[in-house]
Amino acid sequence: MDAQQAEAGGDGPAFGFLTTLDSPVHGLFGGYLVVDSLGRPLEFHCTAPVKVSRAQQILYGPTLPGQLHGRQVGGALLAEGKATPAVVLTDNDAMLHVRPHTKLPVALVRRAAPAEVATGFVVGESVVSPHADDAARADQIAAQLVSLAAAVDLCEPFERIRAALDEAARH
Amino acid sequence: MAGIDQLGDARTPPPVRSFGGDDFALPRIVVAGGCDLTLPAPPALRLPVAMPPPAVMSVAPLPPRPRVQSHFFARPVSVPAPAATPIRGREAVAQPGVEVGRTAARRARVAPPKDVVKLSERFFYLLQPDLETMLRGGKLAFPRQPFPFQFEGMAFLLPRHSAVLADEMGLGKSMQAISSIRLLVRSGEARRVLVVCPKGLVSNWARELADWAPELVVAVIDGDPARRRWQWSLPDVPVKLANYEVLVRDRDLVAELGLEFDLVVLDEAQRIKNKSSQTNSAIVSLDRRRSWALTGTPVENSADDLVGIFEFVDAGQINERMTPKAMAGAVTDHILRRTKDKVLTEMPPRLDRDARIELGAEQRETYRRAEEEGVLRLAGMGREATIQHVFELVLRLKQICNFDTATGESAKLERLEAELEEVQASGRKALVFSQWTETLGRLRDKLAPFGALEYHGGMSTVARDEAIRRFKEGRDHSVLLLSYGAGAVGLNLQFSQYVFLFDRWWNPAVEDQAINRAHRIGAAGAVTVTRFLSASTIEERIDEVLRRKRALSETILAQADGPTSAGLTAEELFSLFELAPPRRAAA
Repeated sequence: MDAQQAEAGGDGPAFGFLTTLDSPVHGLFGGYLVVDSLGRPLEFHCTAPVKVSRAQQILYGPTLPGQLHGRQVGGALLAEGKATPAVVLTDNDAMLHVRPHTKLPVALVRRAAPAEVATGFVVGESVVSPHADDAARADQIAAQLVSLAAAVDLCEPFERIRAALDEAARH
Repeated sequence: MAGIDQLGDARTPPPVRSFGGDDFALPRIVVAGGCDLTLPAPPALRLPVAMPPPAVMSVAPLPPRPRVQSHFFARPVSVPAPAATPIRGREAVAQPGVEVGRTAARRARVAPPKDVVKLSERFFYLLQPDLETMLRGGKLAFPRQPFPFQFEGMAFLLPRHSAVLADEMGLGKSMQAISSIRLLVRSGEARRVLVVCPKGLVSNWARELADWAPELVVAVIDGDPARRRWQWSLPDVPVKLANYEVLVRDRDLVAELGLEFDLVVLDEAQRIKNKSSQTNSAIVSLDRRRSWALTGTPVENSADDLVGIFEFVDAGQINERMTPKAMAGAVTDHILRRTKDKVLTEMPPRLDRDARIELGAEQRETYRRAEEEGVLRLAGMGREATIQHVFELVLRLKQICNFDTATGESAKLERLEAELEEVQASGRKALVFSQWTETLGRLRDKLAPFGALEYHGGMSTVARDEAIRRFKEGRDHSVLLLSYGAGAVGLNLQFSQYVFLFDRWWNPAVEDQAINRAHRIGAAGAVTVTRFLSASTIEERIDEVLRRKRALSETILAQADGPTSAGLTAEELFSLFELAPPRRAAA
């Protein structure tokens, strides 16, 4: 655990959780939750809703999700974080495109399914697949996530974020 | 093209090009017939051929980076976990230090109460891990695994400053409150907690606190005034435990010491239902941040009971002028009530039976004579007869139903002895309730072969605790004799399989409380409840009235209009003897 992480965590390293909520009415909300090693919230950042025009959809085609989720929404959220998490987890493939816009390691987390195990490592009930840029740090990420997974199901904080984004949309 | 004059420049719009006559060498048309016709060319032709530039639509590459709202939360306080959690109690031996399970089908989450309006505060609650995770993270072990609905109860209490936990008796209200206190203390949100309960339950609460929150230091406020002053003043004790009477007595002392509490928990909160009582006044005057009330019967007699309780929980939220429906709407976010049939599908069955007992000849004769004389006397009093007179007659007749005052004969006792023989032979335990300590005394003597023990308000707290201990641990004690007043609330006697109501109480809610001493969480098997009713006596008539009123409190809690009283009214008391109640004098 480095000095920044110690500062953020309290009982250990901090961990980031990054996801989006697509509201048919408002547009795309982004949420970024930083928790301590026991899963308790330290920071929460959320975006105003983003709407994409039809023209943008046509122009960007299949590259739109990566650009929108990763660069625009994810990048904006990570830029506001004060803590330095050991890793930023996302449950959204497109959000992996945030990696070029941050120095933090990023990984995709999914409920463990046999077919996916080959693409990452298993922690608790989840499969974690680090971004290609962080593949070399996979062992280090895995070691840190094990302590978090002892307290929290790694897929669970995304439910909290979505509940908060849903609240924000209604507020 | 030659001959084109460039007319105009950037300063002379619009750009118009001119064409000279030579530029328009129109073809000659030769018309057959020798006539040479030539169309003369015009000297000049001006045509606006320059087009305005097309409108250009720019498509932004992507929406700009969205605005971000940030929320930073206070770092959770890390109160050290107890080095070793001492586990006490029978259950703990079989199941030591149960870690909170991770596979609960439905995880309880702390949801923000409706009165939390600020978005950042709502986020704070929404972003907390589920309760099981919080407890596990806090390394809090329990003597036994809580039920999912108990986690939900904690999730209800934790975020609320004003809460009534109104679960049906036996669902573990005290355990839910204690676990919530434990979490608040561990998180640093509460440092000074006061628990107030009836005097007879202080030792029970002390036991429960030791079981469910062994790391919390608890000070029981009792003894002489000097000792109590010292106890109230103890600075580093997170939980103080006092009874209602002590609190009324020490009201000025608490004010003088300037005591402030992060949380005040009232057990059996129906004690403050009367707004004008000293107890209510003393409780309401406490300086506190959170107010939690625990009661299985928030509406015991009338909807106004709830108003008294809310004077403590959230003053001004409801008043007596509101309809039950409006009242229910106003308190709905503050009250959580669950019943056994809804949450405990695995609860052991409760078998109810009414034992209709024929009085023996002598007892019947004594009863007949007493009733005839009593009714004649009431009739003779005419308008002078009061409720008190009727009440006295009812009590006298009920006592005769228990024991013949002339001969000591008791058909109920004979039946009870027969039942207890089977209880004893099977190695089981029974609770017997009566409203009279005198009856309990007689039963104690008669039931000595069953190792009968007593528990009532006439005994000291020490003696009562000792009776519970002996009954729980002693194989020779098959029966515990309890008064409704002292034994109906707070006791956990779930190791008893039989409950006998030797005589009936006036209010069905109190009878339910008594029954639930045995029929509660942890009960090992079916609980059999037997209500003794002397045939063709006042007891049967009272039973009819009680049956009609049994659903009252549930009716109000279910947000429906309902009757306003569950007790026996003057009309009902007089009607027991087919007498008309006296009319009130005109004002």
